[in-house]
Amino acid sequence: MKAGAAPAKSAALEYGAVLARWLLGALFVYMGLGKALHPVEFLKLTRAYELTSSSLALNVIAAVLPWFEVFCGILLLAGVAVRGAALLLLGLLAPFTFVVLQRALDIATERHLPLCAVQFDCGCGSGEVFICRKIAENIFLMGLCGFLLLSGRGGKWACWFAPFGKRCSTGEDRGAGLPRPRVSPCRPPAGPG
Amino acid sequence: MKRTLLEAFAIIAIGAMAALAANALSPRGLRLTRDYFPAPTPRMAAPGSNAPADSLAALAARLAGHGLKLADTNRVLQAQNDPRRATGQVLIIDARDDQHYQTGHLPGAVQFDYYRPEAFLPQLIPALQLAREIIIYCNGGDCEDSELAAVMLREFAPNARDAVYVYAGGYAEWSSHGYPLEKGAAK
Repeated sequence: MKAGAAPAKSAALEYGAVLARWLLGALFVYMGLGKALHPVEFLKLTRAYELTSSSLALNVIAAVLPWFEVFCGILLLAGVAVRGAALLLLGLLAPFTFVVLQRALDIATERHLPLCAVQFDCGCGSGEVFICRKIAENIFLMGLCGFLLLSGRGGKWACWFAPFGKRCSTGEDRGAGLPRPRVSPCRPPAGPG
Repeated sequence: MKRTLLEAFAIIAIGAMAALAANALSPRGLRLTRDYFPAPTPRMAAPGSNAPADSLAALAARLAGHGLKLADTNRVLQAQNDPRRATGQVLIIDARDDQHYQTGHLPGAVQFDYYRPEAFLPQLIPALQLAREIIIYCNGGDCEDSELAAVMLREFAPNARDAVYVYAGGYAEWSSHGYPLEKGAAK
């Protein structure tokens, strides 16, 4: 009984990672497209954060970021460079969550509102939202990114899980009975002579 | 971790190029070198937020700094009924995008999407040169597109330089009063 527990747990983690990858991928494609198809609206929302006084920098952020999110989402859905994509999305989500929180705190102070009563369109691609809910969502998404990044799982049904990954697999680092990511088995070490 | 960083750098390089290409190919793409917000305006509330917008007095003062005037609904009604509209001397301009304009606009208003001036200026410039009074509006509330459009269009209106009005209430206020609206694309 105990002998089967570890593979079962490993398989559950692998399926969980695949679900996390698909959920993140689908969300970023959906939210990225929402912004990419309405770039002027996203430009105005980005400007409201007062991140930069340079018009070129503002335009580049508003023009590139939504398509970049779509690109990363597609990579996760397809299972290409999964850990790299997860790292980048974590790198986008963390500062974005910080500036949303900062702006929400400013509005709460100006309007004498409790933080969780503040709502605005944060440029997240989902329209006007209550900011506490948005921050909780972002923390959850960051958790999924961290899981994909640190566990190294989610290779099932992946097209090219780790383009720069190790060239061979010992078969011991993933759940038994699961398809391997696209890496070849290691050759046994060459014997003497 | 080194391999993951390598993946991330590759994604940044390929993703940024793909994103720039997508923006360039998209008919709604942004022009990266254009300064969309040349006029110094105070911090705006995010659209739809419950953050405070500018007071009308502050808005009027800011508009005056650009040589513009503030119009209320009565001023727009006067312009609507002004006989000079028939000769093009009074011009009402809707500074919203296609979707909003086609959903509904003030009667006789011509469209000018500030973010796509190249699509509208060739047809609009002759009308601007003829106009002696111009009223520009957008959605109202915290929308600043009418102000940005007014600053730009004033340069093309030699006979109306001192008579360019921004209708701050905009479409939202006009429609909330139940005044007539037109639908569809520009004729």
